[in-house]
Amino acid sequence: MKTEDEVKYVEIVYRGIFQKRLAKYIAEGIVYTAREMGKPALSFGRYGDSPERNGVPAKYYVGIGNGIGEEDLIGYSTRVEPDLVDVIVVLDDTLLKGVESWAWQGVQPINLKLKANGTMIVTSTKRMDELVKMVPKKDFEWTFGVIKTEPSFSGLWAFKDDLTMEKVWGAIAKLRPDIIDIDHLVKYVSKKQSSDKRISAVKEAFSSVDYRTIRKGEGIDFIYNPPRLLTWQEMLEGTVVPAVPRGKRNEQFKRGTTKFERPTVDFDTCIKCKLCWIYCPDECFDETPDGYYDIAYDYCVGCGICAEVCPVKDCIVMVDESMFTDYRRPYEMWKENKVKYKEWLKEVRNARKERVYVPGLGR
Amino acid sequence: MTETRKIIEREVLMNGTQAVANAAMYADVDVVAAYPIRPYTEVMDTISKLIADGELDAEFIVAEGEHGQFETVKHASLVGARTLVGSSGVGWLYAMEAIVVTATDRAPVVAIIGNRALDDPGAYGVEHNDAMMVRDVGWLLAWVDTAQEAFDTTLIAYRVGEDPRVLVPVGISMDGGFLTHSEQIVRLPPKELVKDFLPPYNRGKYLVHPDNPITVAPQVNEDWVMEIRRQHDEAVERARGVIVEAYESFKKVFGRYPGSTSEIEMPENPFVEPFMIDDAEIVLIGMGTVSKPMKVAIKKMRNQGYKVGMLRIRWFRPFPTQDVIKYLSQAKVVCVIDRDYSIGSPNRGGVIYHEIRSSLYDLDQRPKVLNFIGGLGGREITIQDVEKIIKIGYEHRDTPITKPVYWVGVRGDPW
Repeated sequence: MKTEDEVKYVEIVYRGIFQKRLAKYIAEGIVYTAREMGKPALSFGRYGDSPERNGVPAKYYVGIGNGIGEEDLIGYSTRVEPDLVDVIVVLDDTLLKGVESWAWQGVQPINLKLKANGTMIVTSTKRMDELVKMVPKKDFEWTFGVIKTEPSFSGLWAFKDDLTMEKVWGAIAKLRPDIIDIDHLVKYVSKKQSSDKRISAVKEAFSSVDYRTIRKGEGIDFIYNPPRLLTWQEMLEGTVVPAVPRGKRNEQFKRGTTKFERPTVDFDTCIKCKLCWIYCPDECFDETPDGYYDIAYDYCVGCGICAEVCPVKDCIVMVDESMFTDYRRPYEMWKENKVKYKEWLKEVRNARKERVYVPGLGR
Repeated sequence: MTETRKIIEREVLMNGTQAVANAAMYADVDVVAAYPIRPYTEVMDTISKLIADGELDAEFIVAEGEHGQFETVKHASLVGARTLVGSSGVGWLYAMEAIVVTATDRAPVVAIIGNRALDDPGAYGVEHNDAMMVRDVGWLLAWVDTAQEAFDTTLIAYRVGEDPRVLVPVGISMDGGFLTHSEQIVRLPPKELVKDFLPPYNRGKYLVHPDNPITVAPQVNEDWVMEIRRQHDEAVERARGVIVEAYESFKKVFGRYPGSTSEIEMPENPFVEPFMIDDAEIVLIGMGTVSKPMKVAIKKMRNQGYKVGMLRIRWFRPFPTQDVIKYLSQAKVVCVIDRDYSIGSPNRGGVIYHEIRSSLYDLDQRPKVLNFIGGLGGREITIQDVEKIIKIGYEHRDTPITKPVYWVGVRGDPW
């Protein structure tokens, strides 16, 4: 047996704080169900992540032994993260745009670690054909599954018990019975908390998960160039790194993948008061020659402070990130065609989703 | 081999910090002093939840910082309370004054150190230098490598530290991330068995109480310090025998040797874990979670004909000198993996490297000792890294050592 086949890994990609418990509980259920099937299993978070920070993409892993014992499984899994994974679970569809959890690695494609013929499952209300347009291409066939549900967001560190957990388990059982199968899953859920609605959520997801094969080369081009990290001889001494020059932004660490909402600007009502520029913690606003404030979306983390401090009603409004496929700047779009921009603004603001209320998000 | 009873255990998925908190609940601690820092934080998170859920009745005191946190448990321990405390990295350092007096005042506090790199630069990940800071000042120090061992060793720590022959604080170290934040199956014994293993904490004549007028730690200047240090040294030496007793008793009461499960076999020696060592020409030494990738690599290399084994250090203080001599005297090359550093030291090696070399000094026939510094700041030491270490050890079987210390996977050095 090849080394990489001795452990099967499930990667759960989630948004820090809002889905931290959810990710951990999903992992736990997979571990217990795999053990019901007589396989050793464990779980661990990618420890360098920032799961305590709003919206930051973070990862949780489950390792399942395949013909090896519990102790060897621990040996293989004493890792920051596995090299390759069999299944990826994405708990918020906006994460399909990429994952940048920490400063020194760059923005990574969501399916970076997928094994050949692996499976990626996402929770989304979007249609399969819309979602396929967001996934980076691979040079092998793989399976894409969609669980039709609102991405589950809870408040700080809390767990929103909305059956997402059961739906994810059911979908994995359908698409990857080698990881957990439906009989053992139902047995585990019944044992854990005998409740009809939980078991039916599992079965419902099992029978209704939408899935299709993604062909070799199908999907978008996602150029990922891992930055070359310096050797000890090349680095400055004494914990020093060069700062970003004045007026420039950090090319190595953008943080745009943190957001699940983005601010939209109605330039027609803007009074040029500059408060958004002053208050933005990430310095995402750029002054335009005619005195408006444009947004660098690839650096915006969607914190909502600009919307909070803007004194004009409905000048800056937070909208759902999942409606956008790029980080095109708003000022440019407005200059191009102001009437069209106004219509577009209305459209995206009408489609707003009410996310969980978290203080300080400009709502 | 003593006969073991069959005990029905509950199998629960938990990480290292949760395992410790559950063991503290089993030990029915009286006072917990807390102040958050990753990766220790989840110990206090779990304890506070156990208290909120009515599983544990204890005073939960959130201090204003680590110094106050450790002072709190020291005093609580002197008035007879069973205590739990802990920290990581720079938090542990900030408490250093309180940590030293806890030992010199002979308060058997149990502290959990979630090993974390010292700042600067900021990193959450493991490095053993934080706990190593107290290696010389009379704490008992254990390093565990699974959540199960974390649970078992926490119970043992109370039994050993509180023993009237010892009365010394115990620090249990666990690797940040790889153990503190990694969930494994832990076998929890029936709670009612604990009373057969862990007697109530009784300080006797050393209890600070109005009915027992004593003064702890007066000013002594040049008159008393030597004798107090000498006593302390003796108490830590006595702890050796008490540790052996405690492990035997644990096995009798709970039906398995500490650290062992139905899946993981732990040789019956509290201080070290020998693995495939009997005919080994190359012996690897390590502490903490690195042992598990080491064991996988050793099995793989054995299959290729390499005669290689492992000795994991379980108790670092008191140091298992005799075990080291016993298990290493037949080896040709010893490869010490240090998840720590001792900058400017002899050969520029790590802390365990020096301890091993010192232990072997009096032998007529000494193995060669190589040192591998790695895994600092939470970096992985992978199975492939260990295989490389074994091969380097092998190359030195019959050739003299020209380069004693290697840095594992540091960018800029060959690896």
